[in-house]
Amino acid sequence: MNIEYSYSFKGVSRELLWKTLQNKEVLQRALPGCQSFEEAGENVFNAELGLNIGPIKGRFTGVVRQVDMQEPEAYRLLLEGKGKPGEIDADAKMSLEESDEGTLLTCCAEVKVTGILASMGQRVMGGVAKVILGQFFKDIQKETKEIAKL
Amino acid sequence: MANVVGTPLKRKEDPRLLTGNGRFSDDIQLPGMLHAAILRSPHAHAHIKKINAEAALKLPQVVAVYTGKDLEGKIGPIPSSWLVPDCNLKEAPQYPLAIDRVRYVGDGVALVIAEDRYAVRDALDLIDVEYEALPAAVRQKEAMQEGAPLVHDDIEHNIALHWKAGEIADEVLESAEVVVRESFYVQRVFPSPIETRAAIGEYNPGSGELTLWCTSQNPHIHRMVLSGVLGISEAKLRVIAPDMGGGFGGKIGVYPDEALIGYAARDLGRPVKWIEQRSEHFTASNAGRDEVIDVELYGQRDGALTAIRVKNTANLGAYLSTMGPGVATIDFGLMITGAYDIPHASCETFGVYTNTTPTDAYRGAGKPEATYQIERIIDLYAREIGMDPVELRRKNFAPKEAFPYTNAQGLIYDSGDYEKPLQKALEIVNYEQLRQEQEEMRKQGKLIGVGISTYVELCGFGPSKVAGAIGFQGGVWENSTVRVHPSGKVTVYSGTSPHGQGHATTFGQIVADKLGIPMDDIELVFSDTRAISMSWGTYGSRSTPVGGAAVAIAADRVVEKAKKIAAHELEAAADDIIFESGIFQVKGVPGQQRTFQEIAKAANMAWNLPEGMEPSLEAQSFFDPENFVYPFGTHIVVVEVDKETGEIQMKRYVCVDDVGRVINPLTAEGQVHGGIAQGVGQALWEGAVYSSEGQLLSGTLMDYTLPKARFFPPIESSFTETPSPVNPLGAKGVGETGTTASIPAVMNAVMDALKPYGVKDIDMPLTPEKVWRVIQEGEGN
Repeated sequence: MNIEYSYSFKGVSRELLWKTLQNKEVLQRALPGCQSFEEAGENVFNAELGLNIGPIKGRFTGVVRQVDMQEPEAYRLLLEGKGKPGEIDADAKMSLEESDEGTLLTCCAEVKVTGILASMGQRVMGGVAKVILGQFFKDIQKETKEIAKL
Repeated sequence: MANVVGTPLKRKEDPRLLTGNGRFSDDIQLPGMLHAAILRSPHAHAHIKKINAEAALKLPQVVAVYTGKDLEGKIGPIPSSWLVPDCNLKEAPQYPLAIDRVRYVGDGVALVIAEDRYAVRDALDLIDVEYEALPAAVRQKEAMQEGAPLVHDDIEHNIALHWKAGEIADEVLESAEVVVRESFYVQRVFPSPIETRAAIGEYNPGSGELTLWCTSQNPHIHRMVLSGVLGISEAKLRVIAPDMGGGFGGKIGVYPDEALIGYAARDLGRPVKWIEQRSEHFTASNAGRDEVIDVELYGQRDGALTAIRVKNTANLGAYLSTMGPGVATIDFGLMITGAYDIPHASCETFGVYTNTTPTDAYRGAGKPEATYQIERIIDLYAREIGMDPVELRRKNFAPKEAFPYTNAQGLIYDSGDYEKPLQKALEIVNYEQLRQEQEEMRKQGKLIGVGISTYVELCGFGPSKVAGAIGFQGGVWENSTVRVHPSGKVTVYSGTSPHGQGHATTFGQIVADKLGIPMDDIELVFSDTRAISMSWGTYGSRSTPVGGAAVAIAADRVVEKAKKIAAHELEAAADDIIFESGIFQVKGVPGQQRTFQEIAKAANMAWNLPEGMEPSLEAQSFFDPENFVYPFGTHIVVVEVDKETGEIQMKRYVCVDDVGRVINPLTAEGQVHGGIAQGVGQALWEGAVYSSEGQLLSGTLMDYTLPKARFFPPIESSFTETPSPVNPLGAKGVGETGTTASIPAVMNAVMDALKPYGVKDIDMPLTPEKVWRVIQEGEGN
């Protein structure tokens, strides 16, 4: 399934947003239910996330990769996760555009799931993904202030 | 008691079941019992790279974890039981657990055994399986194409079978004035019994006997197949089907799971219980239907039908199920002409492997699909030539005088009078007036539709020599023992076993009439391979016409012997003994009599029996019918479609079924009602949805709509009775008629309602959204 979500970072420059999104500590703090986030190579991280997707709760372990880096405009985030409710395979294109308000971030993701995630979660996944992404970007927005101080 | 056959006795089994005194699989508790759970594949198609069960085994309550590799050479593959001949059938071995490759979401990967039910589920989560996902073949027509992913590497184009029956000469097709073509999809549905599957194994290391309780519609087939799979003598394997909450075909199959439980119980020397979860049931239990049916109906302008040519492309899933290969071939392809005397017919069926759960028989098994295509296409033909659908049906019915009637595919219909239920149903709905009302409502902008289905169904399997000829790996006779105790109370052993049908009531009625004793004096024993010598199971609406007939014959034999004893005691010739309402009397000598109970005592005491007679009063019968039975009837449905929302409301449902002699009108009507619910469910609400990756998207009861009582108007059900000549009861099957008849009846009604828009077909189920879109398009919006 495809998930598209945009978030407007008010008063945040594209460069600052890029820098925030690339900060490992920030990601660890902002990723929902993040229990561990270890660098395993250049732009490759091993992560452990606790997610609630509608009726499904589960801990997912997996690998997050950032590829096609075009600082500060765009990159692709690849996620391969595995948990008791099933497996997730996501390919998200993140684009950062300058806007009147600041920066508009658009996430276009193609998500494949298996197991209970597919049979029970599919129906609610779109909505839940938006809630999770919304929370994530709100946290990132807060984090930009810290990063700006650096 | 006499003459209880034909009366609407209340079900004998209900007080027990309704007061919580049933004994279902999950009620069984054995000392030291362990619990099992099966880890299932989340992928439709993948290599298994590695299975790590270490963490699971570290849980203190976990006793064992088995993988497919652990069981290699220890349990054989589970074979299909219907090896349809002359169709190049390719059976891929299905091992109880996948060894190196999973082939559908739900395929078993590991078996876990633990001390309790919570621990076993926790342990499932701790098993780490590394998969390498492969592309999946999901829909049958795509799976057959060049370059499609192969479910089994050595089976080209995923074609499991290619079957043909009947040929039509080109001249016949060319001389037709009218040809109507349509492609119908009879979608995949789930049998959805209220009780999921279950198995409990108990091994006695002393005797070497294995007892397996399992949700089986055919315990003897389970015993026969599993004794081979597990390498145990049939004499040491006892299979018992406890009370069951429905089956509908989904519990015919011998599944890997039952073999696993039997194996684990023997291996561990402790009882093991497995209860399938509801969510597990959606992917681990066989589904039904999933056939793409291309039909061409040929005939003349005046409505004379001359030929029907059908191609069925059936989705068999990842493995051949127990009955799977026979459904879209034999069951379907020989019945494509339905109730009509169409002189020429041909059917070609492709059975296709896909990365989905296997499909098997589901209520009607092939006959609902056959009936669907003929009853739908005949309506379209009527529309094409501008004839009333009732008139076209009447014109082409196999005539009453033609019975026993041989259809174009060579099946011999035992008895029939198709006009009779049609006429009765038309009178009940007041057809002429209904059509006028429909016209008026149409003028007011309301979408009213009238749908008819005049079906005939093949059931009551059947003569065993035919079963052999069509590749069924079993016989299809039935057996019964009627045992009379010294008190005159009776135990009846029956091979076919109930899982909701009410055999104890109907078979009890048969015996009560035969022996002239009260229903309360009769106990039925079913479903235990140790008690019953042999049986071929409960499916294909065969219990009454075959199993019930066996009961009747055994009871007759008891009476025959009892008459001889009575004659001896009354010093008369056996031929002069009249037996009526439980009393033996000498013809023409009133007062000279013995009761059934007196003879029962005399037979068992054996103090004074006729010279050379063996003691006791007990008889057994093995009944192999000379032919199948062919129930028929007419269902008429009136619907209203809401133009604004696309919602469909059934205004009336009228059915007149002819199932031969009716043993109990109440339970027969119950069967018809239940069948209709499942048929209408298929037409309007139910449907399995797989993603293109082979993920089941309709895997919960939130996403898969089962019929509910409130969706239906009162069902106006009645019977006509045209006895069958092929069994002593004159009875035909009733369990599947409702499903077979109702799917096209409802669809025809909705298509009739949407006729102003020129709509000919919408894929089932008719969700409001699909109907709404068609209306919007028709209205030019």
